[in-house]
Amino acid sequence: MMDKKTRDILITNFFAVILGLILSGFMILFLGKNPIQIFILLFSSMFRDGYTIGEIFVKATPLIFTALAFAFTFKASLFNIGAQGQFYIGSITAVSVSLMLPSPAAIPLAIILSFVTSGLWGGFIGLSKAKFKANEFLISMMSTYVALNLMNYLLRTVLMESKGEYPQTETLARSTWLFKIVPHTRLHFGFILALLSAITIWLILYRTTFGFRIRAVGQNKEAARMSGVNPERIYIITFIISGGLAGLAGVTEVNGVQHMLLQGFNPSIGALGIGIAILANGNPIGIIFASILFGALHVGGTIMGQLSGVPSSIINLMEGFVMVFVIISYYVRRKWEVSRDKKLLIEGNI
Amino acid sequence: MMMSTPLLLGSLSEVFSERTGVMVTAIEGIFLMGAWAGFTASYITGSLAMGLLWAALAGLLVAMLYAYIVVTLKQHQIVTGTAINILILGLCSFLQRVVFGVPLSPLTVEPLQKIAIPLLSRIPFIGPVFFEQNILTYSIYILVPLGYFILYKTSLGLVIRSTGENPEAVDVSGISVSRVRFVTVSVSGIICGIAGAFYSIGYLGMFTTNMIGGRGWIAFAICFLGNWNPIGAFIGTLIFGLAEAFAILMQANASTILPNELFIALPYVLTIVLTISRRSFNVPSKLGIAYFEEN
Amino acid sequence: MVSFQGNDMSTPFFELRNISKYFAKVIANKDVSLSVERGEVLALLGENGAGKSTCMKILYGLYQADEGEIYKEGELITIKTPRDAIHHRISMIQQHFSLVSAHTVTENIILGNAKGRIDWKKAQKSIQELADRYGFNVDAGAKVQDLTVGEQQKVEILKSLYLDANLLIMDEPTAVLTPQEIDTLMEFVKEYSSRGNAVIFITHKLREVMHVANRIIVMRSGRVHGNVLKEETNERELSRMMIEHTLQEIDTKQTTVKPGNVSLSVRSLTVAPRREVPLLRDVTFDIHRGEIFGIAGVSGNGQLELCMTLCGAMKSTSGSVHLDGQDITHLSINKRIALGMGYVPSDRHRYGMVMDMSLSENMLLKASYFSTWNRNGVVNRKKLAETTSGILKHYDVKASGPNALARELSGGNQQKVIVGREVEFCGDFIIFDQPTRGLDLGAINNVHTAILNEKKNNKAIMLVSTELSEIFTLSDRVAVFYKGEIQGIYRTSELDSQKIGLLMAGYTHQEVI
Repeated sequence: MMDKKTRDILITNFFAVILGLILSGFMILFLGKNPIQIFILLFSSMFRDGYTIGEIFVKATPLIFTALAFAFTFKASLFNIGAQGQFYIGSITAVSVSLMLPSPAAIPLAIILSFVTSGLWGGFIGLSKAKFKANEFLISMMSTYVALNLMNYLLRTVLMESKGEYPQTETLARSTWLFKIVPHTRLHFGFILALLSAITIWLILYRTTFGFRIRAVGQNKEAARMSGVNPERIYIITFIISGGLAGLAGVTEVNGVQHMLLQGFNPSIGALGIGIAILANGNPIGIIFASILFGALHVGGTIMGQLSGVPSSIINLMEGFVMVFVIISYYVRRKWEVSRDKKLLIEGNI
Repeated sequence: MMMSTPLLLGSLSEVFSERTGVMVTAIEGIFLMGAWAGFTASYITGSLAMGLLWAALAGLLVAMLYAYIVVTLKQHQIVTGTAINILILGLCSFLQRVVFGVPLSPLTVEPLQKIAIPLLSRIPFIGPVFFEQNILTYSIYILVPLGYFILYKTSLGLVIRSTGENPEAVDVSGISVSRVRFVTVSVSGIICGIAGAFYSIGYLGMFTTNMIGGRGWIAFAICFLGNWNPIGAFIGTLIFGLAEAFAILMQANASTILPNELFIALPYVLTIVLTISRRSFNVPSKLGIAYFEEN
Repeated sequence: MVSFQGNDMSTPFFELRNISKYFAKVIANKDVSLSVERGEVLALLGENGAGKSTCMKILYGLYQADEGEIYKEGELITIKTPRDAIHHRISMIQQHFSLVSAHTVTENIILGNAKGRIDWKKAQKSIQELADRYGFNVDAGAKVQDLTVGEQQKVEILKSLYLDANLLIMDEPTAVLTPQEIDTLMEFVKEYSSRGNAVIFITHKLREVMHVANRIIVMRSGRVHGNVLKEETNERELSRMMIEHTLQEIDTKQTTVKPGNVSLSVRSLTVAPRREVPLLRDVTFDIHRGEIFGIAGVSGNGQLELCMTLCGAMKSTSGSVHLDGQDITHLSINKRIALGMGYVPSDRHRYGMVMDMSLSENMLLKASYFSTWNRNGVVNRKKLAETTSGILKHYDVKASGPNALARELSGGNQQKVIVGREVEFCGDFIIFDQPTRGLDLGAINNVHTAILNEKKNNKAIMLVSTELSEIFTLSDRVAVFYKGEIQGIYRTSELDSQKIGLLMAGYTHQEVI
């Protein structure tokens, strides 16, 4: 039964992605360019060399984290829309630690502290929900803007580079950079960290009593309460973990890719994380694949821009269309199921 | 007062939608689409009125897409809204490129002029604040009491309120719940589209992709904080409009003691504080829950 | 049978012909044909899930039939939405009222029937006049959520009267009423039908049918299995038409057990939230091992609060609860579960199970803090599946296995799973709250057998029920609840349905006994 359902999901999502790409291609026509040519160019150049392929995974890494963040709270029927803000907090922490401690020891320290600070930032949302029954959707949404402004402020003042020209930090010392796992690419240890996190989250959710309780609260809070679970405590803990996950993306981007912190830094990985989580139906393993897909779209979009002058916003367009079609596919799947069952029933009775 | 306008338009329409049980989470996207459409239409035709018309149209289309997925296909409201917001973000900057190419200098349009109402604007202090505004702001003076009247004193309002509380009761009386929700959300789209246009053609006179900056969400929040009531929305909006105007004022005066960012963040912090402290009394019971008509 | 002069008796008022309706997983109606005359009270009798509500919803336009037609006075009509039904003067009162609780009586009644500007004062006045005309004691300006269930039903009826309905369909109207309220309702039905209107009455209660109906149609598994006049039949025959196989009569005599020590002890339990009407008032009783203690009363009189307080989901304001001598008044839910308290909740969808989880996982729901299947937080899935399979077999649950989703099971089987879970994992005290609500007779039998088994196993059992027959069959002693207070505790043999009905309606012990 489970396999049939999974098969259905994979098929419909595949078509959703294709449709999304087709529609985006259609939009390219408006630019007066030939979409088919461009897409062929896109696919061939995405795999042109090791560096580009590596880029796909580099882009996927933070997305895995933010998608996990949204999915984890989603399992508890909570909406953490603030992954972007938690990411910023994590970034701030990572860069601060690395600046203060320019040695390899900064890396594990940054990982732990980023998780903690962004976890607390997210935990605040969980606390508000638990203690005050506040709407976590609104609070998490707003907290992102607050975190953004906090980061901008710090970049302008405390963290600013010694040159004082731009609102960004010094470049981090080489010893604090995450080591590369594939030579001649930018692919770094952060990707491994992301994979491990996804697997760990999967194990927690589906193989432990703790994860079970989270899912029970998400699916039927009252029944969970009646069986001894404390939903409020679950809220707080889930948001802490969720926030922490988004914060880890901060470490990977700061220490692994950018090697500094600047404004306008990865501005939409939070929202994309949500899209990816939806595409993967909240399943951590699925998130890995969906993130790689979105990473590929991103790389592809950039290449399109370089080679054929299609603007980079095509990426958002593709992502948006794919997401919308995935949502519609939920409906289509349901309809199939119902009519399939109905037919079986009528046939069985004639 | 001026800054309140789009927030009020947004939150008022959100009140109506949420009263039928639908959260328009695509509101940020609708605002943005309206801003873009309004600007582009004004620039091309040279007429602000056309701009507003196209803004309304754009808002309507986005809202109808949202309504289709959420009301007809009965999909998840928060997830769908997020998807649409991302889509619109890409769409607007993409379309901007399609229509205008890469301009050498930022394109501008003459923003809406302020019109002074003859006698009333002479009243000292209050006069200029309330009666020397642009046309969109004046529309609020009519819309708030109108909204209150419709919601509480007409049968349409009764149906709207009942749909959010117990859609079954409405269904059983022979009224289509889907139709009520779809139409209400679509109308919201029109109003929110115009609200978004305020930012581009009503105030700044240009368009940038991040000009909405979360203010669609603030309108969304105001609906909550105003207790799903047009009067509450009005009061909530005034507070926020004030905060935002205050922020701009402080920024302009280049205060070196307190950082700029503090003021920019102020409205958002305010929302958080209010969300926590307010116990939502009148949440429409079925808010956010899709209604599955029998069959 | 009431004959209505001046009408062609061969043409029925409303008729359903060859109606069939298929849902995704079940055939709800197959080839259903029935008709009702003017001035007639027709009872649609059948077990839960027999298809009675479905064909009526088709008549009212909430569902569309896959096959078949509807006729009014011999003419074919189409009913696609409730609007069409209302147009034909049909009105339906559902089992779960379709009222907006936050709105007033007036707002509810004129919903869908007013246009444009509403003059609230005028509307309220005319609704009040309507209510007074029919002798309904209802305040047109009151909020529905403040009314009693009986009054809410009156509001639903008023709505139909406001619409000038000629055919009134009522779905399980007596489920939530006291015996006296039921009498009032029946009076209204008689009076309404004597004026030439028709009433169709959906129910599964044999006794009521014999009291009120002129004619009875029995449905089973989506088909019509009987169409008789009341005079021509009796309860036993109707029961035979309703179910497929003869049920084993439960022998309650065999399970008389001498009650043992006190297991649960409740003293002066009060739940009185600030600035609100007290939900429980000074409740005191004991339950012994090997005893079934019944809690009777119209639902909404504190039974749910009692259950919630006992299992730890609700805080009491004062009073104490002891289990086997230990004070559990302030213990958390999972501590009470650990001490052996079992609870089969009345609303299994809301409190008992997670529909989208597998049966194994639903078992885990009860025991996620126990170490039975859990080693350092990791779940031993094999052991869990084995235990679940064992329970499924023991309780004769029709399911594909421990991995089946709870949602896939029928209501009866779901309830069996919950009963099995609570019984297997609890210690010595179980609460059964409305354990057979919505179940077919076979499943009811199963559950009753399980309850009696536990009594034999010397467990202390609290049975909350609104079905008086269940209370009388199973309980040794009964406490009757009214507005949060116990009207009295009696041996079952001391009461009959009239006395218990009065107690349920608020009469005091002195007035009744």
